[in-house]
Amino acid sequence: MAVNLKRSSGEDSDGGKTSRRKMLGWLTGAGLFGSAGLSAVSNFVFIKPRATYGQPQRFSVGKPEDFPSGTRAILAPRGICIVREGSKLAAISITCTHLGCTVGAADTGFACPCHGSRFDQDGNVTGGPAPRPLPWFQITLAPNGEIEVDKDIEIAPGSYLTL
Amino acid sequence: MSRPTPPKATFLTTLMDLPKNVWSSIFRNPLPSNDLERSATSFTNFFLHIHPVKVHKNSLRPTYTFGLGLISFFLFLILTVSGILLMFYYVPSTQQAYDRMLDLRGSVAFGTLLRNMHRWSAHGMVAIVFLHLCRVFLTGSYKKPREFNWVVGVILFLLTLFMSFTGYLLPWDQLAFWAITVGTAIAGYAPIIGKDIQFLLMGGTSVGQEALLRFYVLHVAVLPAILTLMIAIHFWRIRKDGGLSRPEDADPKVSLEAMENAVTPKGSVPEPKKLYGFQGLVRGPLTKVGQIPDNTVFSWPNLFLAELFTFVVTLSAILVLSLLFNAPLEEPVNALHPPNPAKAPWYFLGLQEMVSYSAFWGGIGVPGIFVLLLLGTPYLDRGPKGVGKWFSRDRLLANTIFITFVVANIIFVIIGTFFRGANWAFVTPW
Repeated sequence: MAVNLKRSSGEDSDGGKTSRRKMLGWLTGAGLFGSAGLSAVSNFVFIKPRATYGQPQRFSVGKPEDFPSGTRAILAPRGICIVREGSKLAAISITCTHLGCTVGAADTGFACPCHGSRFDQDGNVTGGPAPRPLPWFQITLAPNGEIEVDKDIEIAPGSYLTL
Repeated sequence: MSRPTPPKATFLTTLMDLPKNVWSSIFRNPLPSNDLERSATSFTNFFLHIHPVKVHKNSLRPTYTFGLGLISFFLFLILTVSGILLMFYYVPSTQQAYDRMLDLRGSVAFGTLLRNMHRWSAHGMVAIVFLHLCRVFLTGSYKKPREFNWVVGVILFLLTLFMSFTGYLLPWDQLAFWAITVGTAIAGYAPIIGKDIQFLLMGGTSVGQEALLRFYVLHVAVLPAILTLMIAIHFWRIRKDGGLSRPEDADPKVSLEAMENAVTPKGSVPEPKKLYGFQGLVRGPLTKVGQIPDNTVFSWPNLFLAELFTFVVTLSAILVLSLLFNAPLEEPVNALHPPNPAKAPWYFLGLQEMVSYSAFWGGIGVPGIFVLLLLGTPYLDRGPKGVGKWFSRDRLLANTIFITFVVANIIFVIIGTFFRGANWAFVTPW
């Protein structure tokens, strides 16, 4: 009787009962902590928005006639600068690649008021802490003749839309 | 009828005794006049029972702690009360938030005063929590057995910064908007998960209504809850780790023999009922309290008066500051035109200055290494010497490294505050 009690209390490290109990313990722990972890992850899934309520990323900015040749029009609410040279059109971001401030037009291109980054006319970095050039966004001509910009699609700098 | 009757408990006497009975049902002890009552007061009062019955004289030395931990806690209390009051008038909406700030100033009784108190206490808490961290480091108080409480303290410091950061956006003025635009962009530089953190914080791709709501929820619910829990753990562990740190020679030398004598019943004299039995059990099997010489005094009144004094001084200082200086409020948000220069709050200006050299190293790399070093300090510095003394020579290396980091950060803060002008160009303030 006493021996049996000892065995079932797990003192026999070679006994099958001990390892089975240990195994069950591990499984229980894994189940509990696994569920807790999954719950935590699901909270993050919950707070990650599926739809955003801000500005749309794809929008039209008007007809090509609104931007005569030589225009460099900063559309601040949209966060882009529309550049037209002859029959070539482009949309350059005016959100600083350093820390997200809005860059302004400067004599040599763009300048950021927050941390002093400077860019040339094409958005290449010419000074300051900005790590990347200002991105260029895809620009297309919609069937109704309006210029459409898609800020979700970045294109190589220097690739214009030719009218 | 000839026998004298005992005084009858009439309804009148019941009524007359009512205040006394109510009082004694709440406060079971009279104001202490002897040691037994002094210890019982610490036990039986909910608000006092987190204190020890007796406290070491070293813990009460003003020049040892400067009361920095207590001041931090009292500032947190002031912030909680003033913050809850401000919530009655605040709306986390981009349409209304700024107008509500103006309402606080113009049409709410004590509105300006409460906002000032909240703002200056917040600045004060960041500063005092940091000084508290410096005190604990420079006295070597993070050493065994207080390693984990140091870690909790570092987490509390980070939470304080995050509290301040989330509160910064709520007035929805230019300062708020651009500081948070820059701050969330810094988070975006964190490796792998940076962009996700930035998106989660802002609830979108730019700082707007979603970001304001998220920062509000973090500021008034999530972070205060975590902070309160961590403060509770921090306080609980102070007790469990044996009170505040003190130098080894702070306790009188007691021989083992004297200790044993102290707990051996002497002859047939019955032992008095041990009042502090459980306190003794916490540290070991011997009930030695009161039997051997020590350098402790009763918490009532020594500790409690010191705490009351600290509280009154803290509250008075905040009140005077709030009456003299108004919390700044800039122009309402104009997402199209960042102010030039756009500056973060002063305690983040060191960070912003470093960020102007390199966004990753200034915003994530160097601060990350600093935080990891802070968290790891008690596990890297295992030498037992130099605990409980300011600038102990036994800890020369650790203190030198720490002070170098602190001074470097202060220099960056000063440069960022006074020497940076338009386009973050170097300017001289005079």
